[in-house]
Amino acid sequence: MADDNIKIVSFLCNWCSYGAADLAGVSRMEYPADIRVIRIPCSGRMSPKFVLSAFREGADAVWVSG
Amino acid sequence: MMGNLLEHMGVDRNRLHFSWISSAEATKFVDVVKEISDKVRALGTTKKFAKDYTK
Amino acid sequence: MKKPRYVREDRCIACGACTEKCPGKFDDKYNADLKPQTAIYVEYPQAVPLKYAINPDVCLKLTKDKCGTCEEVCPADAIDYTMTEEELTIAAGSIILAPGFKPFDPSRFDNYQYANFPNVVTSMEFERILSATGPTMGHVTTFPKLPASPKKKKDKLLAQKRKDPKKIAWFQCVGSRDINKCDNPYCSSVCCMYAVKEAIIAKEHAGNDLECSIFFMDMRTPGKEFEKYYENAKHKHGINFIRSKVHSVTEDPETGDLTLLYVDELGQIITDTYDMIVLSVGLEISQETRDLAKKLDIDMSSSGFAKTHSFEPVTTSRDGIYVSGVFNNPKDIPESVLDASAAASAAGDYLAEARNTLTKEMQVVAETNVVGERPNIGVFICDCGSNIAGVVDCPDVTEYAATLPYVTVAEETTYACSQDAQDKMVEIIKEKGLNRIVVAACTPKTHEPLFQETLKNAGLNKYLFEMTNIRNHNSWVHKNNPDIATVKAKDLVRMAVAKAALAQPLKEEKINVNASVMVVGGGLAGMTAAKSLASQGYETHIIEKKDCLGGEALKLWKTAQGEDVQQELSALIADIASNDKIIVHTNTTLEGVEGFVGNFISQLKTDGKTTALEHGVAVLATGAKALEPTEYSFGKDDRIIRTLDLDKMFKENDPKLDTIASAVFIQCVGSREPERPYCSRVCCTHSVDNAIALKNKNPEMDVFILYRDIRTYGERELLYKEAREKGVIFIRYDVENKPEVKVEEECLKITLVDHVLNRPVTIHADLLTLAAALVPRKDERLANFFKVPLNDEGFFVEKHAKLGPAEFSTDGVFVAGSAHYPKPVNEAITQGRAAASRALTLLAKKDSLFTSGMIASVDVPKCTACGVCVSICPYNAPSFLTEGRFEGKADVNAVLCKGCGLCVASCRSGAIHLRGFDTNQILSQIFALDEVS
Repeated sequence: MADDNIKIVSFLCNWCSYGAADLAGVSRMEYPADIRVIRIPCSGRMSPKFVLSAFREGADAVWVSG
Repeated sequence: MMGNLLEHMGVDRNRLHFSWISSAEATKFVDVVKEISDKVRALGTTKKFAKDYTK
Repeated sequence: MKKPRYVREDRCIACGACTEKCPGKFDDKYNADLKPQTAIYVEYPQAVPLKYAINPDVCLKLTKDKCGTCEEVCPADAIDYTMTEEELTIAAGSIILAPGFKPFDPSRFDNYQYANFPNVVTSMEFERILSATGPTMGHVTTFPKLPASPKKKKDKLLAQKRKDPKKIAWFQCVGSRDINKCDNPYCSSVCCMYAVKEAIIAKEHAGNDLECSIFFMDMRTPGKEFEKYYENAKHKHGINFIRSKVHSVTEDPETGDLTLLYVDELGQIITDTYDMIVLSVGLEISQETRDLAKKLDIDMSSSGFAKTHSFEPVTTSRDGIYVSGVFNNPKDIPESVLDASAAASAAGDYLAEARNTLTKEMQVVAETNVVGERPNIGVFICDCGSNIAGVVDCPDVTEYAATLPYVTVAEETTYACSQDAQDKMVEIIKEKGLNRIVVAACTPKTHEPLFQETLKNAGLNKYLFEMTNIRNHNSWVHKNNPDIATVKAKDLVRMAVAKAALAQPLKEEKINVNASVMVVGGGLAGMTAAKSLASQGYETHIIEKKDCLGGEALKLWKTAQGEDVQQELSALIADIASNDKIIVHTNTTLEGVEGFVGNFISQLKTDGKTTALEHGVAVLATGAKALEPTEYSFGKDDRIIRTLDLDKMFKENDPKLDTIASAVFIQCVGSREPERPYCSRVCCTHSVDNAIALKNKNPEMDVFILYRDIRTYGERELLYKEAREKGVIFIRYDVENKPEVKVEEECLKITLVDHVLNRPVTIHADLLTLAAALVPRKDERLANFFKVPLNDEGFFVEKHAKLGPAEFSTDGVFVAGSAHYPKPVNEAITQGRAAASRALTLLAKKDSLFTSGMIASVDVPKCTACGVCVSICPYNAPSFLTEGRFEGKADVNAVLCKGCGLCVASCRSGAIHLRGFDTNQILSQIFALDEVS
C-alpha cells in the first residue's frame, strides 16, 4: 500500500487549470486523490526552485499546468 | 531544460509534467490527473531527495 | 410579476441534495429537451443566481400534495411550497429590452421530417450533443434523442442501432430566407458560422474520417476573422461545402440512415446517404416578445424585430426604451455584446441628469495594524451542508487544524458563507484578536471576495486571508474515498495555514483617473463615442487628421434603411461643434503617448505646433478606407468606378446617371483573396441598395451584380429580395474564374462564366461599379503608442473576440468603428456608443479605482538592473527608474501590473516579490506538504 500513497504537487494557474479543477468538482467527476494543489497566479510564476523544493520535501511528482 | 536537470539528478522524467488546460476543460483536467497519477504510481514513491528531518 | 421559485433564494446554497431523490421529471430545455431533469432544478450549472427552483407543473407536492422529499433533505431549510406570485413595481427612468430569440421549430417542414426521423436533429440539439456536459457527454452518436439507457422496449430496439456517424450533413437556411414554407424572409446571420463551427468540432470529437457536408445557398461569413475560419474549414479540415438546397429526405426504416435528394450546381440530380442531418435553424422573435413590444407600444418590423434608426441603432420608436441583442435584428455574440453596451450608454445618456442621485455610501471599518504581531490564525472549516461533511470528517479536520502552528481558533461551520456564519466570524476575529484567517471550503474563485469582505468588516486587511478548496478539489471528486479525502483535506489545510502565517497586509494604491477623454478619429464612430461621453459630463477631445469631421461617412449617400447620411451626419457634426464639453482638434496628428490608464499624456501636433494633452482614457476610431483596385481596368476608363464614386453621383444627382442603359457591379474586389483574406462586410448590401436605386431611376435599365456569395445578413436580406423582384440580375462567379473587363469605345464588355448556364456570357455595360474592399489604416505607430495589437490585415485586435469587442487588453484604451473591422453606419455607431459605455465604467470609478494588492514589487537594493523583467513583462509594467537614488534600477508600475509573476520567476537576483504569492509563501506550502511530526 505504501506505493499507493503518492503525492503529486500540482501548481495550477488560477485562471486556467484551477478553474478546470473547480469545474471537475461541480461536475462531480472522480479522479485520484494524489494531487495537492498549490494555486499560482499564472504558470509564468513557476520557477525551477519550486520544483526542486517539492522533490526535496518528498513529492513523488510535480505537475505544472497553465 | 528542467527535465534534463532532474534526469541529471536521477529523477525520472515522468515525475515532472506540464500541461495546458482551459478553465472549461474539466474532462481534460480529470484525464490528465489520471494519466499522471497512473504514470507516477507505476514509478512508486520516491524519497530520494527528501530531506530527512529525523536526523 | 415575479413567478415563485418555491425555493428561498436567501437560503438555497445550491448543494443539489434536493435533486437526488426528486421523482418529478421534465425535459431539460437547456439540453434542447434531449434529456430529462428533475422537478426541482437549476437551469444550467453556471446559472446566476445559482439557486434552485421548482417547476410547479411537474412537482408532485405542488400538483398532488404528495412527496415533499426536497423539504426533508434540504440542509438549508430553503424549500417553501407556499410561495405565490408577487407583483413588483420598479420605478425606472429608462428600459432596455433584451428578450432574445427562439430557435425556429422545423417540425412543420415535411420534406425534412424532423418530427419523424430520429437522426434529423436541429443545430441547437447538435450543439448540446457536442458539449461535454450535454446528454451524450460530447460523444457524437446517431439516435441522440433516445435516453442513454433506455427503458421502453421500443427505445431499446432503436438504441441497438446506435452507431458513430460517418457522414453528417448540415442544411442551411432552415426557417430563414424562406417565405414559401415559413414567413421569415430575413437572414438569421449566425447559422452559416455556427454550422461551420459544429462541423469542425464534430470532426474533432469523432475523428478525421467523419465526413461533414454543409448544404447552403450563400455562405455568409462576414464577421471578423470568419472568412479565414471558413477557408480553414474547407482546406484544413476538409469539410465539404455544397451549394444546393436539398429537395427531400427519406429514411431507411431498418438502419435509420437518411437519403437525400438534391440538384447540384451543374443541374444534376444526386442522391446520397448520410447517417445524420443537422438542420441549421434560424432565429425567430417569439409571440411573447411581440406581445411585450405591443404592450410597450414600440414599432416592429413585419418579422417582429424592433425598429431602430441607423443613427440611433439601439433606440426604439419610443423615447426611453432601448433594445439590444437579436430582438434588434439577428446577430451573433460580439454584436450582441456591443449592442448591450451601446444600449447601456443610450439609456445612461437619457438619464444623465439624474446620475448619482440615488447612490448610497458604504461604511468603511478602520483597519487594525497587524504588522509585527505574531501570527494568530483562525481556521474555519466549512461543512457546506453535506457537500463536504458528507465525505470529509470535518470535526477531525477541525481538531487537527487546532494543533497546527500559530492556530488559535479552529471552528467548524455548517455554511461558512451564510450571513450568520459571517457575523460570527467577525465576532470571533474581534474577540480572539485573530490576525490571519484560513477558510477551508469551496473555491476562492467565487467565494474569496465574500470572505475578504468579512475580514474588512472585522477591521482586518483583506489580504490576511487564505482559502483552501476542500469541496471542488476534494469532497466532490473523491466521494467514494472518505478516508483519503480527509487526509487530503488535512494536507490542504496545513498548506494553507503555512501560507497564511506569512501573509502580509497589502495596500491597494488608489489610481487617479483624469476625467478627460481623447478620441482618435473624427468619423462616425469617434464622434458618437465623444458625444456620449460628453453628455455624461466628461471633457472630450477629438483628434482628427483632416480639416473637418465626418470621415468616410462624408462620402456615403444613404443607409441600407434609406436614411439620408449627409443630413444625419451634418446634424451630428453640428451637435459636436455646439457641445462645450467637446474640443475638436482638426489638422492634428498624434506624435506620442506616455502613461497608463487614468493618466495618459499625449503629444498633439497641429499645424507644426506640439501641445500636450492629459487624459484618462482613449478611444481609437481611426476607421478604414476604400481600396484602390488594381484589377478590372480600374483607373483606365472613367466609366469604371468604385461604390463610393457611385454614391457621389447619386448625392449630386449626376445627369450621367440618366444616360445609363446597362450597369454592372462586381463584388469582392480585393476582399476574400489570399492578399486580403477577409470579407469587407458592407459591400453586398451597398451594391444591392444602389442597384435598386438605379432600377428605381430607370426600370428599363439592365442591372447586373456579379458576386461570389451575397451577404445581405439580417433584414438586409429584404433588399436582396427587392432587387431580384425589381429585375436586378445576379450572376455568381468563382474566384478562380473572375470576370474579364474589356474597355471599348462605345461600351465596356464584361465576360464571365454563368453558373446556371455553365458557359461564358458577355455583358455590354455603360457603367461598371467595383465593390472595393475596405482597408484599415494599419497605423503601427498608433498601435505602438498604446501598446495595442494589430492583426495581419491591420485591424485592431480587441480584448476578447466575443466578450470584449469594444476595448483593448491595455486598460483604459477602447476601440470603435471600421478600425476594428469594416462596418456599416449603424454598427459603427453601436460600437462608438459601446466604447463610450465601456470607457464610462472606468471614468465613473474616479474615486474608487484601486490597483490590486497582489502585484510585484522590487527590492531595489538587490536589483542588478539586468533588464530581464522589463523585457519579459507582457503588460510593460516594469521600467528603469530615471531619477533619484536608485536611478537605473527596476521599478514596477502598480497600475499596469496584473500580478502574473513572470518577472518574479525570471528575476535572477531574487529582487522582485509578488505580494500575496511571494516565493516564501509558495515554498511554505511546499514545506508543509508532509507532516513534520
